[in-house]
Amino acid sequence: MIDAESELVVDCDWHYQDSFKEVAEYMPEPWYTKYKNSNWDDAGVKQNLSSFFPTSTGDRQNYGKVLREHSNYPEEPEDPERVTEGMDFLDIDVSLQISHLILAMGGVTADDERVQAFTKGYIEYMLEEVLDPDEGVYGLAPMPYGDVEASLDILERVEDEEAYVGACFVTAGASPPLGNRKYDPIYERCEEMDFPVVYHTGGSGLDEYVRAGYQEMIETHTLGFLESNMSQIVSVACQGVPEKYPDLDIVFMESGVTYIPGLVSRLDEEYLKRPEEAPLLDTRPSEYITDFYFGTQPLEVSARNDLLELCFDMIGTDRLLYASDYPHWDFDSPSIINELPMLDDDERRAILGGNALEVFEI
Amino acid sequence: MSDAENLVEVGPASEFEDGDAEIVQVGRAEVGVIRAEGEFYAIRNQCPHDGGPVCKGNVQKELVGEFKGTGKRVDQQYSDTDIISCPWHGWSFELDTGIHIGDDRIRVPTYDVVVDDGIVYVDKGD
Ligand code: FES
Repeated sequence: MIDAESELVVDCDWHYQDSFKEVAEYMPEPWYTKYKNSNWDDAGVKQNLSSFFPTSTGDRQNYGKVLREHSNYPEEPEDPERVTEGMDFLDIDVSLQISHLILAMGGVTADDERVQAFTKGYIEYMLEEVLDPDEGVYGLAPMPYGDVEASLDILERVEDEEAYVGACFVTAGASPPLGNRKYDPIYERCEEMDFPVVYHTGGSGLDEYVRAGYQEMIETHTLGFLESNMSQIVSVACQGVPEKYPDLDIVFMESGVTYIPGLVSRLDEEYLKRPEEAPLLDTRPSEYITDFYFGTQPLEVSARNDLLELCFDMIGTDRLLYASDYPHWDFDSPSIINELPMLDDDERRAILGGNALEVFEI
Repeated sequence: MSDAENLVEVGPASEFEDGDAEIVQVGRAEVGVIRAEGEFYAIRNQCPHDGGPVCKGNVQKELVGEFKGTGKRVDQQYSDTDIISCPWHGWSFELDTGIHIGDDRIRVPTYDVVVDDGIVYVDKGD
């Protein structure tokens, strides 16, 4: 043995616990300013590496431009009070809560039970601490749909809970896509329970799954959400879920409305050439898809008004459900619907509340 | 039985094999007379999609699917319905009715076929 202390020793792998805050002082512009305005300060080494390095693109706070209270992801755990505060702020009477964290479940490829465990815990936590039908705060039960048994357990658990009014399927990353027969038992049970299935998109932070290398959030936030919903709409419709479970209410959330006419037109065109590949359908896929419900947010109010009117017309004002997406940075307040010139007051009422009360039987 | 002056002669029935199509002019329309499983059909040779020659396409049985229960694979079988597929992009129609197999609002006109004394005729339907 040698005396290591008196010998030359080289350690080839030491991890310096650097933090963005200190390094930012030395960053070139514009990154120094972007960083400084991004509320990533003071997190030390515990900060989320992906907030700067590219498992995600950009900062949803637009590097400091979006300053609204509650719009940023809080450093502290969420406080149930903030739900009712937010409802007051938006003048909303009933809200359906979905899990924020579950949106990333599509990225889980490990064959373990983290998603199942999380959803089970979430169901209990929300019942205990947050949901309150007397205050108009209801919940959607997240489905760990990769595990059908666990999903059925959750449905069983919430069946008699007034506070839960539907099941939530995260569309981002679902593989096989959600029209696959593997998920049939979940749909069958939801139909039996009169539980709408709410497909909720995700994807701005999971941009690598579409195509690696996008640079900015404007790119991935536009595409990721659409891609996730479109993949599942095509699968659910072509595989005949609405034919298999005709009383199941199907809702798609959070991609605005202008993508629907384009998608269904393209799908119909394919269908007329290859209908035997969607053998459960009796007619064009668009006829089924426009029977689905669609959350309106983020509504493309900057689009040509006649385009928006056409979209509302194709989908039907009885199929549109106001959604805020609060407190996310790109939330819509109810005035987004109320100020649309092509609606009459009955249609405004239906989209802002009436349709949802019916679908979710609140 | 149709009026004789309404009939357009196509040819001897004995010259048709299953799957054969013979194009005749009926008024201003081109019509294909097709034999499938011993039966004769007549259908306008102009696809409602983009004008393709429907009658030049394949004649086959329609592939249909049946839901067999939760979690089960959709059962796919060829039914008894004869269809013809436009050779340009595959729009497919029931030979008997001319109705598109995916959307019954789309239809190719069909005509009655008469076989009299071994000769095949198309009824103009006037
Ligand atoms: S022209 Fe017949 S399918 Fe296109």
